[in-house]
Amino acid sequence: METFYLIIVLAPLLGAIVAGFWGAKIGRAGAHWVTSSGVGISALLSIYVLSGFVSGSRELFNGTVYTWMVSDGLNMEVGFLVDRLTAVMMTVVTFVSFCIHIYTIGYMAHDEENWPGGSLAGANSYQRFFSYISLFTFSMLMLVMSNNFLQLFFGWEAVGLVSYLLIGFWSVRPTAIFANLKAFLVNRVGDFGFLLGIAAIALYTNSLDYADVFARIPGLADTQIQIFGDTNWSLISVIGILLFIGAMGKSAQVPLHVWLPDSMEGPTPISALIHAATMVTAGVFMVARMSPIYEFSETALSFVLVIGATTAFFTGLIGIVQNDIKRVVAYSTLSQLGYMMVALGVSAYAAGIFHLMTHAFFKALLFLAAGSVIIGMHHDQDIRNMGGIRKYMPWTYWTSLIGSLALIGFPGFSGFFSKDAIIEAVHHSHIAGSGYAYAVVLIGVFITALYSFRMFFLVFHGEGPRDSHAKHHLKESPKVVTVPLVLLAIPSVGIGYLTMETMLFGDWFNNVLFVLPQHDTLAELGKGIHGPNSMIAHGFMGPALYLALAGLIVAWFIYTKKPDVAEMIKARLAPLYRALDKKYWFDEAYQFLFAGGSRGLGNALWSKGDRFIIDTVIINGSARTVGRIADWARTIQTGYLFHYAIAMILGLLLLLTWFVIA
Amino acid sequence: MQFEMPSLIPVLPELFLLTMTCVILVVDLFLKEEQRVISYGLVQISLLLSVCIVYLTSGAEAEVIFYGSVIRDPMGDVLKVAIYLISAGAFLYSKDYLLDRNLFKGEFYVLGLFAVLGMTVMVSANSFLTVYLGLELLALSLYALVAFDRDSKAGSEAAMKYFVLGALASGMLLYGISMIYGATGSIEFPQVAKAVAETGMDNMVLVFGLVFVVIGLAFKFGAVPLHMWVPDVYHGAPTAVTLFIGSTPKIAAFALAMRLLVDGLEPLHADWQGMLVILAVLSMALGNVIAIAQTNIKRMLAYSTISHVGFILLGILAGTSKGYTAAMFYSIVYAIMALGGFGIVLLLSRRGFEAENLDDYKGLHDRSPWFAAMMLLLMFSMAGVPPTVGFFAKMFVLEAVVSIDMTWLALVGVFFSIIGVYYYLRIVKLMYFDKPTDDTPLTAGLDTRIALSVNGLMMLALGMFPAAILSICAAAVGSV
Amino acid sequence: MTFELFVFYVFAAILVFAATMVITRKNPVHSALFLVLAFFTSAAIWLLAEAEFLAIVLVLVYVGAVMVLFLFVVMMLDIDIATMRAGFVKNLPLAILIAIAMVIEIFLVIGSGSFSLDQFAAPLPLPADYNNTASLGNILYTEYMYPFEVAAVILLVAIIAAIGLTMRKRPESKYQDPSKQVRVKKGEDRITVLKMDAED
Repeated sequence: METFYLIIVLAPLLGAIVAGFWGAKIGRAGAHWVTSSGVGISALLSIYVLSGFVSGSRELFNGTVYTWMVSDGLNMEVGFLVDRLTAVMMTVVTFVSFCIHIYTIGYMAHDEENWPGGSLAGANSYQRFFSYISLFTFSMLMLVMSNNFLQLFFGWEAVGLVSYLLIGFWSVRPTAIFANLKAFLVNRVGDFGFLLGIAAIALYTNSLDYADVFARIPGLADTQIQIFGDTNWSLISVIGILLFIGAMGKSAQVPLHVWLPDSMEGPTPISALIHAATMVTAGVFMVARMSPIYEFSETALSFVLVIGATTAFFTGLIGIVQNDIKRVVAYSTLSQLGYMMVALGVSAYAAGIFHLMTHAFFKALLFLAAGSVIIGMHHDQDIRNMGGIRKYMPWTYWTSLIGSLALIGFPGFSGFFSKDAIIEAVHHSHIAGSGYAYAVVLIGVFITALYSFRMFFLVFHGEGPRDSHAKHHLKESPKVVTVPLVLLAIPSVGIGYLTMETMLFGDWFNNVLFVLPQHDTLAELGKGIHGPNSMIAHGFMGPALYLALAGLIVAWFIYTKKPDVAEMIKARLAPLYRALDKKYWFDEAYQFLFAGGSRGLGNALWSKGDRFIIDTVIINGSARTVGRIADWARTIQTGYLFHYAIAMILGLLLLLTWFVIA
Repeated sequence: MQFEMPSLIPVLPELFLLTMTCVILVVDLFLKEEQRVISYGLVQISLLLSVCIVYLTSGAEAEVIFYGSVIRDPMGDVLKVAIYLISAGAFLYSKDYLLDRNLFKGEFYVLGLFAVLGMTVMVSANSFLTVYLGLELLALSLYALVAFDRDSKAGSEAAMKYFVLGALASGMLLYGISMIYGATGSIEFPQVAKAVAETGMDNMVLVFGLVFVVIGLAFKFGAVPLHMWVPDVYHGAPTAVTLFIGSTPKIAAFALAMRLLVDGLEPLHADWQGMLVILAVLSMALGNVIAIAQTNIKRMLAYSTISHVGFILLGILAGTSKGYTAAMFYSIVYAIMALGGFGIVLLLSRRGFEAENLDDYKGLHDRSPWFAAMMLLLMFSMAGVPPTVGFFAKMFVLEAVVSIDMTWLALVGVFFSIIGVYYYLRIVKLMYFDKPTDDTPLTAGLDTRIALSVNGLMMLALGMFPAAILSICAAAVGSV
Repeated sequence: MTFELFVFYVFAAILVFAATMVITRKNPVHSALFLVLAFFTSAAIWLLAEAEFLAIVLVLVYVGAVMVLFLFVVMMLDIDIATMRAGFVKNLPLAILIAIAMVIEIFLVIGSGSFSLDQFAAPLPLPADYNNTASLGNILYTEYMYPFEVAAVILLVAIIAAIGLTMRKRPESKYQDPSKQVRVKKGEDRITVLKMDAED
């Protein structure tokens, strides 16, 4: 069995290595064939694993593959834990990744145009790109399949690294370099917390293995620790919050969300794969995986809930005023990640994972559709320049419509089930902050519908593109682009309907996700719901559906019928608009406080500390002193034998006097 | 007196090497000039076979034979193997140099082998007499080797200085030994140690003798203030000889110290610790500081040796098995580093040209990036930059010193090695950032190139896995 | 004071005097001759200590062989003693200072009674048939065999070093090669018949 899982993990790695090191030799076709087939194999096997779990023929696997080292009783291993949660994640990751591999063949076909002529960095960029995305798939699989914290951290950092490499893929663009640096630094903050959390776990349980740790957590539930002074902190809460800080970095939760919109500097397939469907959901996956820890700390759960709700609402608002097609989708992603976190916060882990899955499909779809539009528009990303594209790109249009409907939670579409489950779960929750969260996620539904369809109408409806040149060239994207769109559209529509019963209310996550009975909001919800049709019916009784429809209609009204209304609102609510346009000044604040502060500190240390005290006084001063001493001391070596002899005798005399006589 | 023929197995390596040396001496007489390489081959084979013999005759138990004159113990075995191998390396590097200067003669190797023999006699000595004779055998061979290039005035002058000062030091050592003999009535280490332990430390004669012994020892090491010969000899001798003097005799000196001070005079630890502290601090200070003012690389490496000796002494003076292990590790590692360092000097030398001046290293990177990298590794290792092995050698020694609560001494060591980094890095700077003044291609043979590469990479490899040698040293010292 | 003691002091006094003369004479030949005297007196002191063999060997080897050779060398070389003295005089005050300090320290240690007679019992008188030479030989070839062999190797090294450093073929020096001389053949080697054109 080990070998089987190893193949799933290593096939993409092999592809990445071959394409990365011998990319120039095997050429473009070779690179995309080897990486796509590696990921394809993983995807097929993952689906096989998942189907095994569905039919009940497959058992949970938890085993060590390789012991890296043992230090002071702490085992550091590479191992796999494959259960139903992992199987879902594996399937999502490999399937989306596979679609994106295929899509990339079309998207990057003319990548050489993105590099300055003769650029060395641009050589073989196509192969390198494939190598990176395969490497990403490997890292992500390592992350989700891990059975211990060390490997989790490895995967965590590895996906971060690939993300960094890919955001800055077009390394000749200063904005891309700025964005990847930003992503890297912001993630450092999160990872620091994450690492502290892992360290705390290792310290108190003396193990890194999930099963061991989870077994010991209930025993530690009442442990108090002192961090600053004499204040007592619950150990579990501290661990939970520290781990969640890691998740906040990776899953871009407020206030560590600032890197995600900028990450859109990377090529679109990356935005779809890493910054929408998979990597950013690692935080969600991690918290769900750690449910046995979070369940013992309501403080940590509330923290997750409030952060998630805040992210869901405020980033969604920003989405309304963005004009870059990818940024709109990016803010939408942020908002949806907030929803998932909200689900986790109210112990509806299954709902969170369910939303993760449906979101992966429809958000990847939306991104790829956006990418398709971008190809058609020759890399113009401003939605104000678009319009009427429906005629030219029918496939893209229809798939986008499906994606948008799924996103806003239109009844029957996959997003409807997951989002409704989350909203209802919050409704049933009683932990601190659930009231705030409920209000915010409800308004969020309206906002989601508003920005989604604002973008949809602006891009596909209305009059044609302003630029007649662009209009002339507009045509549907090639097959390699549209086929993945269709592939992703199918689950975006149907996956919710098919799996909602088992995943949300059935026994799918039994023994995988741990929920204390008093937190079990989904069970509460499940009492009134029997099957997907019943859930749709139930949806008509709640406010969420009507809010979504309201958002849709408002968007339709404003952006197709009366465009001047938008301008009017903008003028009326100028301060709000500015706040949104400036993204609540997060970037400016960070720039000023952290970047500016540390640069100021660095400058001060450099000019006063380094240049004066260290360079002038210590380094050069001491060097000069030593040099003078050396020049003087070398004159002792006269070359005369009798001087040498006298030196020896003097030495002897010195020691004699010192030790014998004294 | 009934004479019992002792088992000769424990001294088999020495016997074998002596026999082979005599064979080579005779065989060489009958060789034509162009067949001289046969002697060279025989030398290498003898050294390698000696290693095998040491390996075959080794054992965890110490054996004392010849009425207490000789001891064969694991420490001796390890040091012998190190001496044989490093000497073989030294002979290998010197071959081309000697060929280019018409010095490629049988006597060079015969004298070299006698020096090796002297070192191994010292290494496995169990009495003051044996130690002294081994020392003289080594010293006499080295005097002759330094003067080996008879046409070189500098060489003759250096040999003369070395000889006179060596005789003086040897006289002091002998005088000290006679005092200790007078006070204890024995010249065998175990008996001396026993007697010293009984009479106690306040015996003035013993300490008096000890001072002379330490002085003799310090001369052999080249510790300040008995270091004066080192720069002149290193500088004056043919580089091939400098290479030899600079490498293995440090291991022998370590053995000498271990035998004299630890085996023989362990109960006087408090006294000799104080003396070694003075010598070590002076050596580290003077060695590192004066090295900065040198423009000749052989002289610079000579002062560098002096500073490294200070570090070896630090390990010994700790007086714990941790310290001895560290010192042993350091001396072996230093011998390998010195071998490589002078090996590069030899590599750059050619007929009629000695790569002696620092300026000759300018732009080595442009001439040969690979060997510039090797030199870089060697210099880093000497300077003690991680992850090269030199760092660990220094670290273990400092650790040993700290563990006996002499932190101030460790700080002094660190302070002076920081000063020392300057002149090692200057070489690196010259190699990498300056333009070459001379672009003659390197002419060394394949064997030298391979050996030097291995030598350089060893700095890195041993630095990654210092435990390999360290555990051997620890095991060897643990049995002392 | 016994007679033995008296004799010891006489020889000891001569020895110290001779040694001082060795290092103070201007003429190296004189120095060498005083050294011979020093050897003789020390041989006498050894005789007093019943070390006959060593005494005789000292006279035979050092006086008979080494010193004669030494004198020979000294007479052959033209040593410019004046320049050597210059440095000697200049450093004399310091040297004397160090020497005095040294002597004081040695005196403090040795004179402290560590080697006094009450520390060491006088050795028992040896029987009349005791053979100093035989017992030395006995101990040299048994107990001290290893050091003895090493000493032999040292001598070998000394020979090799001396030959290696001094022997060299000078192209200008003329010497005979007996094997060549023997192999000479009458006809072609000894007489060379040159054909020349007959002169008118």
